[in-house]
Amino acid sequence: MRILMLGWEFPPFFAGGVGVVCSELSKALARRGEEIVFVMPSGPLQATSGTKHLNKFLIADKDFNEFTEIHESVAKSIKLNITIKTIESLLNPYITFDEYQKKYSAVKRFMGKEIGFMEKEGGELYGKNLIEEVYRFAIRAISIGEKENFDVIHAHDWTTFPAGIVLKKLTGKPLIVHIHITEFDKSGGQHANPEIYKIEREGMVEADTVIAVSNAVKERCMHNYYIDSGKIVVIHNASTPMISTEYAKKADVEGRPKIVLFAGRVTLQKGPDYFVEAARLVLQKNKNVLFVMAGTGDMLNRMIEKAADYGMADKFIFTGFYDRKDAERLFGMADVFVMPSVSEPFGITPLEAQYKKVPTIISRQTGVSEILKHCLKVNFWDINALAGKILEVLEYAPLKEELKEKGFQEVQNITWDRPAMECIKIYNKYYKPADKTDKKNKTKKSKKA
Amino acid sequence: MPSVCFYFQVHQPYRLRNYSIFDIGNRSDYFDDAKNYQITRKVADKCYLAANAVIYDLIKKHKGEFRVSYSITGVALEQFEKYAPEVIESFRRLADTGCVEFVNETYYHSLSYLYSKAEFKEQITMHRKKIEQLFKQTPVVFRNTELIFSDEIARFIESLGFKAVLIEGADSILDWRSPHFVYHVPNTKVALLLRSYKLSDDISFRFSNKDWNEYPLTADKFTKWVSAVNGNGVVINLFMDYETFGEHQWQATGIFEFLKTLPESILKNKDNNFLTVSEVVEKYPPISELNIPNFISWADMERDLSAWLGNRMQINAAETLYKMEMQVKRTKDRQLLEDWRRLTTSDHYYYMCTKWFSDGDVHKYFNPYESPYEGFISFMNVLNDMRTRILTSKKEEEMAKKTVSKQSPKSTAKLPETKTKEAPVEKSFFLQDGRILRTLKDLKDTLETMDDSIFYHHVSLDRNDFANWVRDVFKLPDLAVKIANAGNQAETKKAISNYLSK
Repeated sequence: MRILMLGWEFPPFFAGGVGVVCSELSKALARRGEEIVFVMPSGPLQATSGTKHLNKFLIADKDFNEFTEIHESVAKSIKLNITIKTIESLLNPYITFDEYQKKYSAVKRFMGKEIGFMEKEGGELYGKNLIEEVYRFAIRAISIGEKENFDVIHAHDWTTFPAGIVLKKLTGKPLIVHIHITEFDKSGGQHANPEIYKIEREGMVEADTVIAVSNAVKERCMHNYYIDSGKIVVIHNASTPMISTEYAKKADVEGRPKIVLFAGRVTLQKGPDYFVEAARLVLQKNKNVLFVMAGTGDMLNRMIEKAADYGMADKFIFTGFYDRKDAERLFGMADVFVMPSVSEPFGITPLEAQYKKVPTIISRQTGVSEILKHCLKVNFWDINALAGKILEVLEYAPLKEELKEKGFQEVQNITWDRPAMECIKIYNKYYKPADKTDKKNKTKKSKKA
Repeated sequence: MPSVCFYFQVHQPYRLRNYSIFDIGNRSDYFDDAKNYQITRKVADKCYLAANAVIYDLIKKHKGEFRVSYSITGVALEQFEKYAPEVIESFRRLADTGCVEFVNETYYHSLSYLYSKAEFKEQITMHRKKIEQLFKQTPVVFRNTELIFSDEIARFIESLGFKAVLIEGADSILDWRSPHFVYHVPNTKVALLLRSYKLSDDISFRFSNKDWNEYPLTADKFTKWVSAVNGNGVVINLFMDYETFGEHQWQATGIFEFLKTLPESILKNKDNNFLTVSEVVEKYPPISELNIPNFISWADMERDLSAWLGNRMQINAAETLYKMEMQVKRTKDRQLLEDWRRLTTSDHYYYMCTKWFSDGDVHKYFNPYESPYEGFISFMNVLNDMRTRILTSKKEEEMAKKTVSKQSPKSTAKLPETKTKEAPVEKSFFLQDGRILRTLKDLKDTLETMDDSIFYHHVSLDRNDFANWVRDVFKLPDLAVKIANAGNQAETKKAISNYLSK
């Protein structure tokens, strides 16, 4: 079976957790013998570890046309049957209108001056605003639809939905939309941008099956988007094995301050203020604790001020933006990891924390809490409970040890093979293996293997 | 002619509330009265009262031929008295038929044998008194919490005067033998009644399992299995939680109908009969010996201690609790002691079990916690609060001094020769078994092999002969305090070794 995946990120070109999800799911599907064509928009200013390389590639590419195949090396290096195609765009999963406008003008300034190919025959390379961009992505995806062979369309989140819908109408292939996050989650459940809401809902309505990453997201699709529950399948994410690096092992010096870690975007959705409030309560009981808030976001400055207001400036470390390597080191240091999210459709970081043998406290308002058992859970607003749990993990060594060990065992068993199999189950509902050439391809491959 | 011996376990723990680290020092109402009331009430209605009514009718109907045994823990009885007094009455009515026997266990359904023999003995006595008071019977048969058992327990139980003990018919101890006979541990007279786990679990676990190839289980089918034992066994011990009836197996499964019809079906065959536990012992003498070197129990698939003491949280919780025993008792604070004892109940440790947590199964039964970790947290926070209560208790301080220093002499300069010093003959230590100790080294060496019965003859709540001897004869008040605070042989020995190697 050949699956056309519409996503926005693919490591090493990623900006957030959903990129990891897309890539891991694709890899797991490929391991099961499925063929994946991965289409993603990629913009030069995205915060990716491959930014420089990508910039160079895109700008230097004289043949840049409708879409470009890039980084086959990536596909080759993982030796899986994934073809990656990128489409020039500025899409980013967490982007807002304002941010897009900033980015757009930055790109225009930068690229227009230097290279001058912003304006090409047939219109602009980048859309003027986010919505326009999403539709441009859709238009560009059409050419993929014309050139590529595939059996199923699997689109990840709203930015890819118009493209998915267009391709479905064009080819008659089944459309599966995968909901990692909705507009409501980004605003802590309060409101949604009406235009984005419209696109989200359209995608879910047009889709043959809607995949939700948690029961909480499924509820949202039902109650906020009026999607029939029978059409929604919950497929929880899994954890990415992390290589256990010994270098990050903390020096266990007697009396060393204990480290409590928050890692994620410092935005309303992630509940950083509850972390700071809890820290205050913790410090009233135990002074020998350090709080690390890793990540950036629109609430970061307020959090820094708040910590200072409470007179805890010396007990807080704000790291700002961190990359994968930093993350490894942070988890290596931490005595306990806290994710007090207000609303988290899934939330993959606790899985990583448990992989790094860090005891984990998460809010019950996260999708991941539906599958994790060997961690502690609180309601995000209950700062007393959160502070209590932090103190208790630091206080009771057997608790910490048990959480570390059992938590590690637990995430090792949450592999990507399970979601991949569940996706295949869905594909198989629509896939009619009438295409003989496809079958031939398959048999060839299995012989090779 | 197999006899059928029904034995039911009745137990409800005092569940703790979610007790946070911020509660320490601020509140000492550890137990969730509302939840305990709710659960006791619910199980009383669904199970205890309903099942008692059925059993009563069966006894009347079969004119004394149907007989059963019960063990009802002290904490369950207390909660009935408080929350469902009619349950007590219905058990009394059963007791009055003369066809019901009560079995002795630890009042708090505790693991105390494993940590403190002194406490174990006291809890057994408490439970016996409670049974005598409520049901006018003096139990002669013992069952340890969750059928935890070993050779060593057999000897201890025999020294307490019991005739028989109920244990698990575990494959690990039986090998090729049948559980349908009475056995005994080498060199003891105490009889062992072995649970037939196959036939017991057919009722308590599999009864309503539609995937079971014997489903549905009928009285006639079960009787056939019972009669099949004829010729290669004398007694079929059906030991199970009483909650099987109406709670583990809901009323809708037909479990009560099964219970109502089973006796008649079994008694149809004139060779079959029902016996209570002590009647089994009288009728069938032990046929051979069983060696039980390791602890066994009736829990889970492992049938060992791992359900309660299988991970470091559980072990840490139990060790911390029993380390506080002496201090708690010295405060003479009745409420504190009662709180401490309620924490000896095995259920608290069971809730902390991570073994099967991922699969989510039986350990969930009335488990008040979201996870084993929460169970551990509340328990440890409560222990920490109790510690603050001990520290603020003046009595404890006084007692700690008093146990050892009633007339402790002023000149306490430690002479090096005390390490090897021999006590004068008239001041030698006379052990209960007749052995005589002259030096600290003697004491240390003897402790290694000292039986619990002897150790606890010399050590009790308000007396420690070893500590007094060390204080008075060797003039070592510091070491005496350490010995007085040690709860068992190993700790006592450690204290002496530490001193000797100084």
